[in-house]
Amino acid sequence: MSRRAAAAAGSQSSLREANRQLVVETVKRYGGLTQIELADATGLSQATVSTIVRELLAAGVVDTASTTRSGRRAQMVTLARRVGLAVGVQVGHRHLRVALGDFSHEILVEQSLPLPIEHRVDTTLDRVALLVVDLLERVGASLDDVVGMGVGVPAPVDLATGMISVHGVMPGWDDVHVGQVLSKRLNLPVYVDNDANLGAIAESTLGAAREFTDSIFVRASYGVGAGIIVGGQVLRGFAGTAGEIGHFIVDPEGAECRCGARGCLDTIVGAAGLLEQLGPTPGLGNLRDVVQRTNQGDERFGDVVAHAGTTIGSVVAGLGLAVNPQVVVVGGELAETGETFLAPLRAAVLRGLLPNTIAPLDVVRAGLGLRAEMVGALVLALQSTDVPLSVEETVEETMDVGGLL
Amino acid sequence: MIAVGVGDSVHATPTTRGAQDVTTPVPPPPLLSMRGISKNFGAVEALVGVDLDVHAHEVVALVGDNGAGKSTLAKMVAGAITPDTGLIEIDGEPTVIPTPGAAHALGVATVFQDLALCDNLDVTSNLFLGREARVGPLRDDGYMEATARRVLDSLTSRIPSVRSQLSTLSAGQRQTVAIARTLIGDPRLVVLDEPTAALSVAATAEVLTHIERLREMGLGVILISHNMMDVLAVADRIVVLRHGRNNGVFDAATTSHEQILAAITGATSRRQSRMHALR
Repeated sequence: MSRRAAAAAGSQSSLREANRQLVVETVKRYGGLTQIELADATGLSQATVSTIVRELLAAGVVDTASTTRSGRRAQMVTLARRVGLAVGVQVGHRHLRVALGDFSHEILVEQSLPLPIEHRVDTTLDRVALLVVDLLERVGASLDDVVGMGVGVPAPVDLATGMISVHGVMPGWDDVHVGQVLSKRLNLPVYVDNDANLGAIAESTLGAAREFTDSIFVRASYGVGAGIIVGGQVLRGFAGTAGEIGHFIVDPEGAECRCGARGCLDTIVGAAGLLEQLGPTPGLGNLRDVVQRTNQGDERFGDVVAHAGTTIGSVVAGLGLAVNPQVVVVGGELAETGETFLAPLRAAVLRGLLPNTIAPLDVVRAGLGLRAEMVGALVLALQSTDVPLSVEETVEETMDVGGLL
Repeated sequence: MIAVGVGDSVHATPTTRGAQDVTTPVPPPPLLSMRGISKNFGAVEALVGVDLDVHAHEVVALVGDNGAGKSTLAKMVAGAITPDTGLIEIDGEPTVIPTPGAAHALGVATVFQDLALCDNLDVTSNLFLGREARVGPLRDDGYMEATARRVLDSLTSRIPSVRSQLSTLSAGQRQTVAIARTLIGDPRLVVLDEPTAALSVAATAEVLTHIERLREMGLGVILISHNMMDVLAVADRIVVLRHGRNNGVFDAATTSHEQILAAITGATSRRQSRMHALR
């Protein structure tokens, strides 16, 4: 890698810059690793790594700490943390995503865990707590370094109580105070919100909608939801059900939805609806398969995904008429098929909206991809926390070890 | 030599699959099909008339109580033991798997519970243990390291260095190395015996993510596990064994935890067992 950078850039200083970048990227990828491992992972010499780490330490980009590897002393290198850490958690239908980040919104480490269909609230929350502790260990931190935790769930959440406000959407989770369970377990402030709202927060803070004050984030995943940002603030509604477009009735005589109504958008373009449209197909089991086959160019899958785009687009258009956003950002698994899904969705949105002369609306793909909701949870936790006044931490003098032991 | 093999099979797979899609709507035969498999160890009936199908791009979980015959069946697929009676088909062709070498040649790779790794060797050496790549009379270390890194990256693993000694790795990372080793011979079917037993949640998360990756790469996976949460998270189908017999095949998408536990414990009998070629 360093050789390629050298060939491209040529000069000595740009080579050094590329190597520094490579070291930072590698530390970010692994969370924390020793200088010797860093040399192996980057392909740089140990002397080079040692020099770069010393420079990065002086610049406050990384932290080092003494540790042992197979009985020998070593220097553990982690990204420097600004003020404190926060945890972002996304509980999805089939995945759990957990990230640790700091006040500069830098993600230090993240991990995703596949979950069963209709996973149980007790087992899942237990795994969240254990995973958070494991990840803290990976970056050499402890629970004391964490200022707060944001949790996204695929259901509307009443912010006042932190509970799911519509019964039946997540079976088994209805009467559980998710925030309190985790807060008690980890001794942290925990903020729970709807995953589409968190996606909207992330995209408007760091992603594709960061230049706009009014945006809609559409999450097309196992179910469909939307997060609305008006004047830079999330619009949640009285009980947190604002933007739940998955329960917009598209076909009054359609299949029964979990919410009790018939023909909700979710029953048609949710994972179960899409799989039913595709019929029994060998090797087709979940939404990721639909995305994979579509991206491999299977036309039958592409058609179903495109049709879902049109259906969702026409509902989003209605929401657009109510909110008048500057941009519609589309995330969730289906957005991973790119324009196959986005183009028909965009067409349907623009068809249903009132064209205004001030600024035309655009429909774009989520800048943060599938991580939007998890990043949003992180941002929510950070925004809900007061920043301590003393930003400067005392950096311990650890440079004299040199790192080659 | 290995590189040629890799290129060949990568090239061959899409062509055959594409041809089948276009010409015939009939699904391809299962990657592995076992019918009426029986095995006795003295008076112990380890397996009695067991059926098992695994397709490409499919994770089949094998669950059951201790002594239900899960590991025995896995060892048969791996060529470590041979059935007394029964038929094994690979790609619809009747075959025998007399030795682990034969299993390897058929594209079957297995990770046993004890992982069978060498603590005193580095990651690369473990991946290529017994199958070292050579240039003439010499070991081709450069090729092996590059391949090791490529395989670990394809699993999106968190092992920083392919030169780390195994003894320095965590339990989760060792499991990753064991899974990565199966990919060296470019297999089509991977058998994992209790890959998440005794792992932390973070390590379990990594292993389950690797299993998802194997499936996305189009491989067939047999997953043996006691943990229903792990099984239901990644499996397409769940095959329950009880006292060496089939006691139901379940579609993971429509089955609850309780139904599977009922089949494992014998609260429900095998009448709902439904084996069909599709799915």
